[in-house]
Amino acid sequence: MGDLEVRDLTVEFDSGGYRVRPLDNLSIDAEDGELVVLLGPSGCGKTTLLSCLSGLLKPTAGSIRYQGIEVEGLTGTELSAYRQKTVGVVFQAFNLLASLSARKNVMVPMTLAGVGRKDAVTRADALLERVALSERVTHRPGQMSGGQQQRVAIARALVHDPPLVVADEPTAHLDHIQVEGILVLLRELAAPGRMVVVSTHDDRITHIADRVIELSPQFSKVDAGPEQVTLAAGEVLFEQGDRGDLVYEVLEGSVEIYRERSDGTEEVLASIVAGNYFGEIGPMLNLPRSASARAETATRLTSMNVRAFRQRFPRSGDGAHEPGA
Amino acid sequence: MFGITISDLLYRRRQFIIAIFGAGLVFAMTFLLTGLTNGFSVEIDQTVTGFHADVWVVEAGTAPRLSSLNPFNVSQVAAVASTPGVTSATPVIVIPETADRSGTPSDVVLIGAPVGSGPLQQPLTSGSPVAGPGQAVVDQRLGATLGSQVTIGGQAFRVVGITSNRTMLGGIPNMYVTLGDAQAAAFQGVPIISAVVVTGTLGAAPSGLVAYTNQQMEAGTLDQVSTAVSSINNSRLFMWVIAAVIVASLVYVTALERTKDFAVLKALGASSGRLFLGLAFQAVLVALIAAVLAIVVAQFMTGLFSQPVVFPTSAYVTLPLSALVVGLVASLIALRRAVGADPAKAFG
Repeated sequence: MGDLEVRDLTVEFDSGGYRVRPLDNLSIDAEDGELVVLLGPSGCGKTTLLSCLSGLLKPTAGSIRYQGIEVEGLTGTELSAYRQKTVGVVFQAFNLLASLSARKNVMVPMTLAGVGRKDAVTRADALLERVALSERVTHRPGQMSGGQQQRVAIARALVHDPPLVVADEPTAHLDHIQVEGILVLLRELAAPGRMVVVSTHDDRITHIADRVIELSPQFSKVDAGPEQVTLAAGEVLFEQGDRGDLVYEVLEGSVEIYRERSDGTEEVLASIVAGNYFGEIGPMLNLPRSASARAETATRLTSMNVRAFRQRFPRSGDGAHEPGA
Repeated sequence: MFGITISDLLYRRRQFIIAIFGAGLVFAMTFLLTGLTNGFSVEIDQTVTGFHADVWVVEAGTAPRLSSLNPFNVSQVAAVASTPGVTSATPVIVIPETADRSGTPSDVVLIGAPVGSGPLQQPLTSGSPVAGPGQAVVDQRLGATLGSQVTIGGQAFRVVGITSNRTMLGGIPNMYVTLGDAQAAAFQGVPIISAVVVTGTLGAAPSGLVAYTNQQMEAGTLDQVSTAVSSINNSRLFMWVIAAVIVASLVYVTALERTKDFAVLKALGASSGRLFLGLAFQAVLVALIAAVLAIVVAQFMTGLFSQPVVFPTSAYVTLPLSALVVGLVASLIALRRAVGADPAKAFG
């Protein structure tokens, strides 16, 4: 058992009328003092996981336990206390308040927690000194570089000396010189008494991480050769949100491609008949299935990996074969 | 939280200053309209009070409207004077007329009374009271100067005195002359009068006459301009709505611009209530500053109106209070933005 235990975490929400599941039965562990990197492409659920860890988003299912606290079960004042005292958040794009100076931005969480002004100023100045911004305490975000703004955001996340710091794409808007400074700072912060969880699609960060958690789809049958698949009428081949690495060609019968709407109804996108293929988008772009596939009649298919698919259909992607899902 | 709110207010000061000026001008118009409606009451009160009457006696069946009294024979004055309790009974004529000043026609309310009687004793800003035929005291709104000539119904009058705040029906200046001159100018010399101004007490009016108090006379006369007052009041209500819309627009735009800020603040521990209070504070502050600006601006705008504009003392209290309500109502428009802010959006 680690200090952070995430078990079977699933998050599902409505997006444009469709049900989207950025996290699907995710389980991870991490220890105090570690710099944990969540690695993966856009849309793989990194930010969603950080939102759940920081108590800003309720998961649809699963559990999050941090140092004995059942995070997903917190409500009301307990949740507010967790957000204020236990977790410090460094948002993507800094999210500083443009109207406030660096010092006042750092003071905001303390002000909201009822800390006296004098103590808040002292603490804010100390934290800004720690992130090497003593000379910029009165500057507004618009008067600072991206790296400096990110340092202010980190200082703000540390005001209550939280044992857990989460940072969403902390290097996304920075040049390489600024990236170095931020990475060194994050590395320093991850020490006994504090865990730092960083989401990124920049694998350079993995070199300084204690633990790397890949959130991109893990395919198990990448090297599998073509196989015949038989479906009974109405049988579902794969569902929207599933991870999959196979493309399918219809040999006999037909397959219905459909999306589940948030209200539980279905929207039929296409009916794939013999001689056509489907399911190539997810494996080719490393994305979850964007729609479900179900046999309309008794159907016989050939499944193949992406390489075999490209050999079989060299001009795939020209839209001639109802690509999708 | 209020420190954050004030910092935001200073950061967006141009927006707020524009809104303050916009709302301030509308508030100023509202304040002026309040002064206008009050002006109708004040001018009638000043004119009626200027007759130094305790009771007004007019022809039976005549409404207590100072500017539209039915004329009756002057011989009935004696009957009034002999009524027990009456100290003095002064015949007067009050009638709207058109005066000619060097070819320029002007509306006036012609008031005739015996020389030396109470109705001719008006406070003067210059000159002297009417002392005999052919003389007139006029309100300064007529624009006449001492010694100038004013003609009514072929009768020429020399202005011997100028008074102020003696108008009726929305700034029409009063013109005080002798009773005989008024009868000559308005009734071709026929010995009729509009009313008998009584001092003392009057138990019952003589037959064919009716008595009114000053209050009844003022209320009845004011009733003549009730349509105008009602229109102004409707306009004033409309102005309040415009002011509320201006402040609401500002608050709503601010809330839209701060949607991400709200999400961040919530993620950092701010409650929906505190966010709403911050917005309400901004709206109320804008409305109150606009109200103060309006009071100052309105003082310089009274000269633009030909009617008397008299600001009631209560308006100096009710305007800021109303502005406060406008600010609070306006901030409700942004309530959903503050309450609905999703802290998870801070990550987006």
